[in-house]
Amino acid sequence: MSQHNSINKGKAITVTIDGQKIQSTFGKTILEIAREHEVYIPTMCYLTKVQPIGACRMCVVEVEGVEGMILSCQEKATDGAVIRTNNQALHQERQNIMKLYNVNHPLECGVCDKSGECDLQNKTMEFGVAEQAFTARDQHRPIENWGYVSYDPSLCIMCEKCVRVSTEITGDEALKVKFGGYGSTIVNTKPEQNYASLGEAAAVCPVGALVDTSFKYTTNAWELEKIPSACPHCGGGCQMTYEVKNNKIYRVTNAYEFTNLCGAGRYGFDYANEGVTQDKEAFSHAIEAFQTAKSIHFSSQISNEEAMILQTLKQTKGYRLISHEARAYQKFMDAYSSVTGKSLYSGSLEEIAQSRVIIVMGSRLNDDAPSVKYHINMASKWHRARVAYMHPIEDRELSGIVTQFIKYEAGSEEGVAALLVSELLQAVELPKGVRSFLDDLDIGNLSAESNVGEEELEMLSNSLQKKSGFSLVIGSDLYAHPQAEQIAKILALLETFADFNVVCVPPAGNAMGISLICDLDDEAEGYTVGYNVPADFTLSALGDGDLDMPAMNQQEGTLTTLNKRVVPMHVALPYGGYTLNDIANALGVVEEYTIDYTPLLPQERGFQSVAFDDLPDYFDSVGREYRGYPLRRIKASVDRKFEEITEIDGFDGAVVYQCNPTEQFSAFTAKCDALKSESFLVGSEQFATATKLQDGEQIIYTIDGVVFDRVFKIDTSMKGTIALNPTYDKGLSGALLSSYRFSRLDFKRAGR
Amino acid sequence: MGLEQFKNRNVGTQNYKTLDVGVSPQTGMERFKQVAKRTVKGELFVGLGVVMKAMVKALFADDMHTVKYPFEKMPISPRYRAIHDMLRLLESGHYRCIGCGLCEKICISNCITMDTRYDENQRKEVSEYTINFGRCIFCGYCAEVCPELAIVHGQRYETASEQRASFSIFEDMLSPVDQLNLQQEYQGFGAVSPNADENIKQTPLAY
Repeated sequence: MSQHNSINKGKAITVTIDGQKIQSTFGKTILEIAREHEVYIPTMCYLTKVQPIGACRMCVVEVEGVEGMILSCQEKATDGAVIRTNNQALHQERQNIMKLYNVNHPLECGVCDKSGECDLQNKTMEFGVAEQAFTARDQHRPIENWGYVSYDPSLCIMCEKCVRVSTEITGDEALKVKFGGYGSTIVNTKPEQNYASLGEAAAVCPVGALVDTSFKYTTNAWELEKIPSACPHCGGGCQMTYEVKNNKIYRVTNAYEFTNLCGAGRYGFDYANEGVTQDKEAFSHAIEAFQTAKSIHFSSQISNEEAMILQTLKQTKGYRLISHEARAYQKFMDAYSSVTGKSLYSGSLEEIAQSRVIIVMGSRLNDDAPSVKYHINMASKWHRARVAYMHPIEDRELSGIVTQFIKYEAGSEEGVAALLVSELLQAVELPKGVRSFLDDLDIGNLSAESNVGEEELEMLSNSLQKKSGFSLVIGSDLYAHPQAEQIAKILALLETFADFNVVCVPPAGNAMGISLICDLDDEAEGYTVGYNVPADFTLSALGDGDLDMPAMNQQEGTLTTLNKRVVPMHVALPYGGYTLNDIANALGVVEEYTIDYTPLLPQERGFQSVAFDDLPDYFDSVGREYRGYPLRRIKASVDRKFEEITEIDGFDGAVVYQCNPTEQFSAFTAKCDALKSESFLVGSEQFATATKLQDGEQIIYTIDGVVFDRVFKIDTSMKGTIALNPTYDKGLSGALLSSYRFSRLDFKRAGR
Repeated sequence: MGLEQFKNRNVGTQNYKTLDVGVSPQTGMERFKQVAKRTVKGELFVGLGVVMKAMVKALFADDMHTVKYPFEKMPISPRYRAIHDMLRLLESGHYRCIGCGLCEKICISNCITMDTRYDENQRKEVSEYTINFGRCIFCGYCAEVCPELAIVHGQRYETASEQRASFSIFEDMLSPVDQLNLQQEYQGFGAVSPNADENIKQTPLAY
């Protein structure tokens, strides 16, 4: 629906397309109007989610009174225009274009991965090009293997979709066009980075030039069964389709015309708990464990329905429900709502993409929430949005997007939030209590403690002055902060009084759904059953616990996404064992299927009473989303009382930051073959000096009771004394890491 | 010979020849006479003589009609659809199969299974290819659809084996690489038409 390129003046216009009178509004292109009304105009290079490329000239139309042919993808329709989309001359033109596309195109459809879903194949048939009539002297064009994707230049038709996606959507900016007439080709300018986000570029390739290396030459496209689902890794819940043959997932695709999928979603699909049978003995042990248990501890890798089952068990059996990440998020959002007066947050990804100014705080964005990063990148590319990135560590991957990096001391988020809000709300009329809280702040002291210069914030607020469309992205550093609730309240002022689109990015998994469905407790008591968390009795979807559970691609259910939607997931792979619902049934909480809980999700938290099988899952011809349903924002009681800012407890010396590498989120992504990451403690040279560590040295340290035995690596592109500590490779115990993401590093060297 | 003869369904008017089989005996006396006549005529020795002649020929003149199966086999029609053969390229010795999967797709009894992968030379490679001969109905569609004439029906019509797998492994169906000179171009179902040369057009890549 590319709103981004339409200055929607909203003036009503009437156009005639092929004799059909159509009412529309000014600002839309002819192609957009045609697609909206199901009028077919053939295209080769048009991709809805990026700006028109105009490379193929297939979309030409004739407009009465205008000489020549017009590109319908770029031309905005004017009032009273009479448009013809097809006649002899246009057909001839398109046929000639197809003839030129077929010049020297290798006749190897038999082995090409795209065969069966190839735009070139389809259009060649459509326009009746039966033979290759022209030729050119061919050149040596070797196939290139770029890691996640492979590029075959001789198949490439130079539509530039991949380049646009790489720049406008994913923002890795790796792909460029090398111009040179017939010798033009796509080049990867950053092959050493091996971006998994290039999978998104491969997805939009209309021919077999750019394909996933792991999928290449493994099967034919038409033999795969397509199972629509949602990605369970980060909180994004992006649309995805598993493509399955013989009970094996061959690849993951998406509705690439309208949506995006990061590398983890695209390549992290083979984490199923396979070969499980119903183990009656283990099951009876599980029932016993549940009967003796006082608490249930679970990770965020569960569906809404499973969360509902646990909540129902809590109501009937009185268990304590523990889920640290979700609990922190729940508390944060409760505090947030007490200022805004509404549940949830105001923003959405679409609004971020339309913003002119975006502030990101408390998240290593590229690693935590790729879909948010993509939308910020869109705003940056389409609207030249100013992006202020506030974090203790600079991120090289965001350097192309971020216009202002504001570094603050780890631990000082509360002060930073207060500084930011008081600067941005200077000229805004506020209720007395709030105003006096902001006026009473000791700006100088806060600024000194947090290391955020007043002039930096001034620069930020100056850049806001002439603009509208502000977004604030809040990340998971803040949720586990000791002063999280105060921070939530302060930042919520921006939504209420400065009209910011705020997005509080949920922690990985379905933490948002859990936080809305379950009444969570803070600490476990007594005998504990763990679900994807190590405990006295462990249910595990990794297959290493006391009873096996289905992984997310083996069960049906819904997920709550950071875009505030409830979206359905379907079963991609079979599962032969017991599920959580079987345990609940044995304990007397009876529903036949897990999805029977879908309509029972709490309506007082914004869910709707819709049966699972009635949830839609598609995009219409112009890209409007019909996936599941959007959550409603519910009224909440307002309590705008603020406490005084606490003394900032800074970290001295070496600090580690719990942060997974891009494309890794949990033990489930760690299990995937295609996503290969080596887990090191990565720090700067400065960090090495501060800790007296050598590159390649093995050290042992403990965080939240989880023992890490890691090799230290120096990354010369990093600065400062904070090192990145991945947690995804720790199996189920990764879910135990629940405290503030920064922590002091107390280590000992291995073997001493 | 035209097809008209076959299309004529009117049996009564066709030129059947009736053999002269004489008149069969009707009464008991006639039957007795026939038996007595045959007994004294010595026709028995005519038959024995024929056998003797054939025996002498077989033993001393090396002229025997019996085919000593399984040591000897009759030649069969090139169009006969027996156990499949996978052919190789004569120049390189590499197998012809490009792994397009059409045979797997067209197989009406779903007996062909194949797996392919991206090999280190960045080409498509067949990593697994099996035909379940317990299900194969030898319809020949696979050979017909194969764009490379890689899978053809061979001449091995004896489908008795201790294990079905004895036939169905890709390597067993491939022509042995040391006997490439014996590989015969298949003339049967799915083969290149006799006038293929006339239909070939010059590709536009010639310059």
